[in-house]
Amino acid sequence: MELFELTALEIARKVRNREVSAAQVLESHLHHITAVDGVPGTLGGDQNTEPDKVHAFITLTADRARQQAAAIDAQIAAGQDPGPLAGVPVSIKDIFCVAGTASTAASKILANFTAPYTATAVERWEQAGAVVLGKVNLDEFTYGSSNESSAFQPAPRNPWNTAHVPGGSSGGSAAAVAALEGPISLGTDTAGSIRLPAAYCGVVGLKPTYGRVSRYGLIAFGSSLDCPGPLTRTVADSALALGAMAGADSRDATAATVPVPNYLAELEKDVRGLKIGLSPDYFRITYFDAASGDLMEQPVPASVRQAVLDGAQKLAQRGAEIVENIPMPHTKFGIPAYFVISRVEAASNLHRYDGVKYGYRTIGQVEDLRSLYRQSRAQGFGLQPKLRILMGMYVSAAQYSEQYYNRALRIRSLIRRDFDEAFQRVDTLLTPSTPAPAFAIGGIYGDSVLMQYADQLLVTGNHAGVPGISVPAGFEESGLPLGIHFFAPDFREDLLFRAGAAYEAASGPRNLAPAWVRGASSSLEVQS
Amino acid sequence: MEYEAVIGLETHIQLNTASKIFCSCKADSWNAAPNTNICPVCTGMPGVLPVLNRRVVEKGTLLAAAMHADLQPVSFFDRKNYFYPDLPKGYQISQYDRSLAKGGYMDVPQADGTLRRVTIWKLHMEEDAGKTKNDLISGSRRIDFNRCGVPLIEMVTGPDLRSADEAANYLTRLRQLLRWIGVSEADMEKGHLRCDANVSLRRKGETILNTKTEIKNVNSIEAVRTAIVKEIDRQSRAYEHGERIEAWTLEWDEDSQTLKKMRSKETEADYRYFREPDLLPVYLTDEWRAAILQDFPELPLARRARFMAGYGLPEYDAELLTAERSLSDYFEKAVQAYGGEAKRVSNWLMNDVLRMLNDSGKTTAQLALTPAYLADIIKLVEAGTINTNTGKGLLEKVNASGKSPEEIVRAEGLAKVSDDGAIRAVVEQVLAESPGEVAAYRGGKVGLIGFFTGQVMKKMQGKADAQKARALLEEMLR
Ligand SMILES: [Zn+2]
Repeated sequence: MELFELTALEIARKVRNREVSAAQVLESHLHHITAVDGVPGTLGGDQNTEPDKVHAFITLTADRARQQAAAIDAQIAAGQDPGPLAGVPVSIKDIFCVAGTASTAASKILANFTAPYTATAVERWEQAGAVVLGKVNLDEFTYGSSNESSAFQPAPRNPWNTAHVPGGSSGGSAAAVAALEGPISLGTDTAGSIRLPAAYCGVVGLKPTYGRVSRYGLIAFGSSLDCPGPLTRTVADSALALGAMAGADSRDATAATVPVPNYLAELEKDVRGLKIGLSPDYFRITYFDAASGDLMEQPVPASVRQAVLDGAQKLAQRGAEIVENIPMPHTKFGIPAYFVISRVEAASNLHRYDGVKYGYRTIGQVEDLRSLYRQSRAQGFGLQPKLRILMGMYVSAAQYSEQYYNRALRIRSLIRRDFDEAFQRVDTLLTPSTPAPAFAIGGIYGDSVLMQYADQLLVTGNHAGVPGISVPAGFEESGLPLGIHFFAPDFREDLLFRAGAAYEAASGPRNLAPAWVRGASSSLEVQS
Repeated sequence: MEYEAVIGLETHIQLNTASKIFCSCKADSWNAAPNTNICPVCTGMPGVLPVLNRRVVEKGTLLAAAMHADLQPVSFFDRKNYFYPDLPKGYQISQYDRSLAKGGYMDVPQADGTLRRVTIWKLHMEEDAGKTKNDLISGSRRIDFNRCGVPLIEMVTGPDLRSADEAANYLTRLRQLLRWIGVSEADMEKGHLRCDANVSLRRKGETILNTKTEIKNVNSIEAVRTAIVKEIDRQSRAYEHGERIEAWTLEWDEDSQTLKKMRSKETEADYRYFREPDLLPVYLTDEWRAAILQDFPELPLARRARFMAGYGLPEYDAELLTAERSLSDYFEKAVQAYGGEAKRVSNWLMNDVLRMLNDSGKTTAQLALTPAYLADIIKLVEAGTINTNTGKGLLEKVNASGKSPEEIVRAEGLAKVSDDGAIRAVVEQVLAESPGEVAAYRGGKVGLIGFFTGQVMKKMQGKADAQKARALLEEMLR
């Protein structure tokens, strides 16, 4: 087995035991990335370049990583413990600031922006011994579920079938982890942006409780919804990654002061005695008919339903109690409410990109300040930020805010109440991750409304602030991965890890990466 | 036609906290070079977050209590969205519909002895924006972010003021109060206290509110007074000519002492307020509130009234002695140490101690002349141990040395000489030395008694009992 195939737990153990050096682990990964990733996403790049590669990265910071690995090895040599992530290569969604590294948000407007500070989540991983490989691609400003909206092309592709999207917005993260380009990636989840690509790429994606992980250094989308979280290949790695970054932060007032448990120890407890709920409201999709505007409803596909029921059965066999028919009546309003709230916050968060202080400024002639703003923003932002600004400005205007924004806030409270009531009866909820597996590139892009319905079963967690985890649940007939998903009460990520790990164990060994990905490095070896 | 002015004031009060409202940069940038007192948070860099400085809430709470406002157990911060180059986030973090305090009022004494009650419509916390300077030579705009994130209280009065003088009185009293409770340096020239004035006119007796104009950029109390006088004049002339008043925003030009039209204000700007998701609600718990208000001081007007009623001070004295909290504290301590008539202490304070303070630029707290020492000096004079002039000189000596008055009187032998024999000997000497003046006196120029007394005092270094010396001179010149 190659070093790049190891989990984070295995790497950290081997590095701490001096079985391998952090430098060896890093070089194995860098070599593998060269083989599978292809050209990085670049501003103005061609989306069709190397259609059989993954293209997870925007910026690979190999030199910086080598310095970090050398520092870890020096610590080990000096008899010091670098920490629980000793020598573990990680990638970072390019929506987090890392000092001295370009932080682009996959947007032209920030393409030249280098932050002088590092996000708390990244800083904590580094302090725990992680080695940062670089920054991975995403939908522009995280606005999307496919990564096609990135201004840095080619956009990431799904390693299980490179004609399909990896999902989004943490698509580069999911694709990187699935393609063995580092066992951990840091993503963000505003409406499913970690869990959906995790499901699409057959990896584990955790959205922690709002406030469990500091948002400092995370370029904001919907500030009241955004959650940093890890994408990993195993549930244990997810527990390891969360434990290394969770906790209060003096630089983020919304980061909770709730103590951080030892998630890896909790994970051993299995599911005996846990009450796991199923809700009929998570087995259907509600959407607006584009022609009539009517609210339509359809059941999720049988394969998706079956994956969840199969999961319930496996957990029941390990001693969990399955509770059916938990009502979650406001689930269907999650997407419309999200559309309003996230866009109001997004429009406001995007105000600062005005071409005055940093980032893109128009190179054209401007006659006054207004036209400097207009031209810089018109040229710097892609389609998705513009759509979000337009809608956000509209629904928060004084004459409409009661009708849209305030109503959306009321829906949000009702969704929260659904969860409060459900968690009176059960410890976790088991749901599908997505209504369908990854769609084909170019399939529904542009119709951002339809694409957003893919998040319908996940966004409720962002409204309510509760944590959720998507774990791989085999493959559809098409060969594309499926995921199942658990919700837990505030700050009970431990329950998610217990349920996820139990399901993982019950499912037996699984194919962690596509065959071509494993083979790519060895063929490179032969050539060299 | 007789018109009455209807005036409301919008004030922005810069709090004197050590650091800014949402980051750890210094709050005060006076004399700092542009853009030297900034950080990623106050310049709105991507991904950074505001963290509330609790001292801002505490100072805001003190002010709200002083304005008799209703402090709210829970308040929220909101985003006020607009584009301007000196607003680096593109929104200002402010409070909107659920602010720190509701209602309130301030009573303002007027020249005719009446009180004008000014209601408070709005009192909330917010961050300041930066400064924009137009560079006329290069044709560019220059932005200084130093002021970004400086904590402000915005306070808006109801349309309760009826003249330029009343508006000026309100600001004078507000400035006194802000310093009194220690929340702001309240220096208008330095922008610690900024004021916009809304002015309209109506016929006397009417209760309607007519279209108002807003006067901006006035940075002294005198300028506020002059600008309002001019605007009232302009509006009344317009009404006389049957013209309509439009909702203009006017800018005060200090150099030319004129108002200039900045813009018409046809529609209200839509700031698309919504709750600031990066900050938690402000929970002013009972415990916190009690701790903040634990040492809440007696306010200037109450103290002024008490000085008049309790100490029998004239209004003039009470007003002067309560201009600053430290001075009034000093006065009370001296009165207590003295134990006698408070007016005597007031006289000494207003005549001599205030002059010392003005000359030295010091505050009462910096004086080595403690209230107890001042009381000692007054008592020494009252007891006849030293004469008044010696007492006045003693003020300086005590303040310079920090020694007690008794110690100085003893060491320098300043005590009055009342011994007949000693004075008589000097009198004889003086008369012997001035035969011409003696002859003139005896010839009827009795005014020369002053000359003789002065000579005696001079020879005795001012320590002689002056009355006794004079009596002896008169006796011996007879
Ligand atoms: Zn700062």
